[in-house]
Amino acid sequence: MPDQESEETLSPEHSSASTSAQQPDLADVVIEVDDVNFSYVKGTDVLRDITMNIKRGEVTALIGPSGCGKSTLLRCLNRMNDLIPTAAITKGEIRILDTNVYDPKVDPIELRKHVGMVFQKYNPFPKSIYENVAFGLRIQGIKKKSVLDEAVERSLKSAGLWNEVKDRLDTSGLGLSGGQQQRLCIARTIAVEPKIVLMDEPCSALDPISTTIIEELITQLKEEFTIVIVTHNMQQATRVSDKTAYFYLGELIEMDDTIRIFNSPSRKETEDYISGRFG
Amino acid sequence: MSHSGNPDSPSSPAKERLVFKRRGVQIFGLGWQDVIRIFFGGNASLAIIILILICFFLAKEAFLFFPDHHRDLNSYRQSGQEFVGFMGEEVTAHTNLYSSANIAYFAEVNRTSRVEDTILRSYRSVLANVENRSSKTWGRLEREIDALEEVEDDLSDLDPETEEDVAEIASLTEEKRRLEKEIPPLREKLKREVNTILSWDEIWDLGVGAEEPPADSIPGIREAVLFEAFPDAEEEHPFIEKTKQISKEKKAAAAAELAEFKETIKGMQAVVRPLKDLERELKEPALENKKEITSFSTAPERRDAWLKGAEATRDPEEKARMLARAEEVVIKEPDYAAINQVFYDAITRHASIAAPLEVEMKTLFDKLPTPAGVVTKSAKENLKRAGVFYDRFQESMASNRKKIREWSHDHPVTVVESVSAFLVGKNWTTNSSWHDFYGLLPLFTGSLLISIIALTVSVPFSIAAAIYVNQLSSFREQSFIKPAIEFIGAIPSVVLGFFGILVFGEALRNISQVEWLQWFPGFPMAERLTILNAGLLLAFMAVPTIFTLTEDALNNVPQAFTENSLAMGATKLQTVFRVVVPTAVSGVIAAVLLGFGRIIGETMVVLLVAGNKIKIPDFTEGLGVVTQPAHTMTGIIAQELGEVDSGSLHWRALFMVGMVLFVISLLVNFAAQRVLKKFQKI
Repeated sequence: MPDQESEETLSPEHSSASTSAQQPDLADVVIEVDDVNFSYVKGTDVLRDITMNIKRGEVTALIGPSGCGKSTLLRCLNRMNDLIPTAAITKGEIRILDTNVYDPKVDPIELRKHVGMVFQKYNPFPKSIYENVAFGLRIQGIKKKSVLDEAVERSLKSAGLWNEVKDRLDTSGLGLSGGQQQRLCIARTIAVEPKIVLMDEPCSALDPISTTIIEELITQLKEEFTIVIVTHNMQQATRVSDKTAYFYLGELIEMDDTIRIFNSPSRKETEDYISGRFG
Repeated sequence: MSHSGNPDSPSSPAKERLVFKRRGVQIFGLGWQDVIRIFFGGNASLAIIILILICFFLAKEAFLFFPDHHRDLNSYRQSGQEFVGFMGEEVTAHTNLYSSANIAYFAEVNRTSRVEDTILRSYRSVLANVENRSSKTWGRLEREIDALEEVEDDLSDLDPETEEDVAEIASLTEEKRRLEKEIPPLREKLKREVNTILSWDEIWDLGVGAEEPPADSIPGIREAVLFEAFPDAEEEHPFIEKTKQISKEKKAAAAAELAEFKETIKGMQAVVRPLKDLERELKEPALENKKEITSFSTAPERRDAWLKGAEATRDPEEKARMLARAEEVVIKEPDYAAINQVFYDAITRHASIAAPLEVEMKTLFDKLPTPAGVVTKSAKENLKRAGVFYDRFQESMASNRKKIREWSHDHPVTVVESVSAFLVGKNWTTNSSWHDFYGLLPLFTGSLLISIIALTVSVPFSIAAAIYVNQLSSFREQSFIKPAIEFIGAIPSVVLGFFGILVFGEALRNISQVEWLQWFPGFPMAERLTILNAGLLLAFMAVPTIFTLTEDALNNVPQAFTENSLAMGATKLQTVFRVVVPTAVSGVIAAVLLGFGRIIGETMVVLLVAGNKIKIPDFTEGLGVVTQPAHTMTGIIAQELGEVDSGSLHWRALFMVGMVLFVISLLVNFAAQRVLKKFQKI
């Protein structure tokens, strides 16, 4: 019941705030998720009625307890779920830069070149640092040494790794520390200059110091890229994100400015979760 | 061990002792668990102990080969056989040159009558086909004609005046009339039958690769076959006779044209005769020397055997006889210098033969046509080879002349000589009346060539199959392909060898006759059992090993690599070839190495299929060397070990071959382990 109360008091303000925030810069919306249902196996939807807009140059954090569907949503955005034969969107559509990504005309390979992804477990390929960063360019057929050199240096600098590895670009990427490896993976992802970078719990396998470095990196990267990050760490969400979306049991409970979500969430469930009462 | 077993210790209360006491049956203080553990551990260590024993036995038998072999080589030298062997080498070098020139000559001569020969060959095979199909009527007609002849013979023997013959004459005349009436319709029938059969296409099927006769000769062949269908026809059809005649004339004309070529070849044959004669002449004393030396070296053994026998027997008479026999054994060391004098005397004779031989061979070789000067493929190839053989002949003459001049029967054989005589010896000759050679090279090259073919064929196939199954195929395909390939490993190799002899060998030879495949080196193949055949079958056998291990290696590549690569916009194929395969590469190398181990150790297939010719394949044929037969290290052990006396030099030589195989396998496995270890670190 308090739930309803709070909604009543907050919803007008909320809706007006969101419309006022969205209306003027609708052109800035790069990802539109429009009433999407998704299932891994036919008949059991793991995402239900998800509708959200993500704006250019913002960091959006997806939070929620395990199994709530936030990683699934992330993988829907670059169609990594295509690798599972039976997985499919059953309702609605996802538009990235005004293109329905599940349109039959869309090539998922091309899509993924524009929507990069950083995974939970850092895993550079068993190649040299240079080759790891150049990988994305090489598969696009770029062979020119000067172009590759330039891209590798730029990406490593963006990922804050250049000074640490510039003297050993030929050594294996697996010889770096965990945090460095994860930054190498970020460098590898941004080397192909995607529009959007998806991060699936990028710090969960790292120590606190490496986590801090990566978080600083994320705040720098948002200048160039739109970032969607899944995290279990509430503090991390407050530190890095502009917007936060709270998922529970396959539904988007609430999405708003991060400050608002953590200070005065409009829904009771959100409050319970962020205050650690469950989850 | 167990303190709990002691109930009399006064200090500890009974209650506590019971709490800690071991439960269950105890054998020497060991519980049931311990017994099971010891049982399994014992089994494992037993296997290791047996392995060590096998290695020890193998090594002991094998390495005793070297001292024996060393003695054998010494006696080969002391008997003068080595000296004669040098001349033998010269003769062989000459023979190689001569025979390839000879083949070239006949290829050229037969070329001119090729059309006629094709017609005659086709005629013979069509006739055989027709006879086969109409054998029932044909045979009956033949029998009736024979019977008629017999009746006529009998009739002419009988006297119509004699009374007792009259009845017989009557019956025979009756028989004769019957046969005479029966034969013409039968003949008609056969004619009709043969006519029908001749219109069948399969009759004209002359086998894969056989040359077709020219179209205008077909009516002639048809007619000749029909003519032949009168089994009493004495003469051949004029068409065939004419063709034969033309063929003969053409050959004669070609021979006349190539008269100089023929003269050259004849000259080559004549010019080597003195050398051959000298070699043959010297062989006799060498063999006698060998007998003498052998008798000397075995004398103490023989005497000991008699003495031992005498000691063992109780019968005094027998004992006396044996002792007498022991006394009879003479142990007399031959006078090596004296028995070898004949060879030293022959040195100057050889020099006076060799010098003119070389000069004359040079002029004769220069007279040979060049490969460009002949027409047929076979002649070109053989003349090219003759060039190589001529160089070898010169080398052989030069080196052997030096060896002959410097030869001395009492130079002891060095250890290096004796070891290299085995490891790089070019002959493996056993049970010879002359001398047994144990040179590994013919067997080793055979094994190696077969393995190389098997690897070059199986590696791409099995790796491609593994990549497809592991990375690209659907689950359904996977569940079909994997068991199918793994099933290959379950085929007994003897069955595969059987298949290789009967089906695959024949098919390969037929394919090699096909006209548009003649660019392939070594085609057309004369043999059915060849290195190529064995190599391809072994490739088939190695596929499951390489496939399974490669697939495992690909499976071990973390899924995350694939995911990362795909997330970066790589296609499936890019992911496979740029990420998955490079990551698994050491596993793939290990798979190939283990496949090689499987191939080099395989015995049954090579024994059945490789042709078992103990000779270093003739590499002058280029890549066509693969169409020759060869013998292998594994094959020779399987083939000969059952028939040798245990403890003999031959026996030990076979063990030594086994040892070489063992070392090769050991090295390959070791390398594979090393590579795999490196792989696991990633």
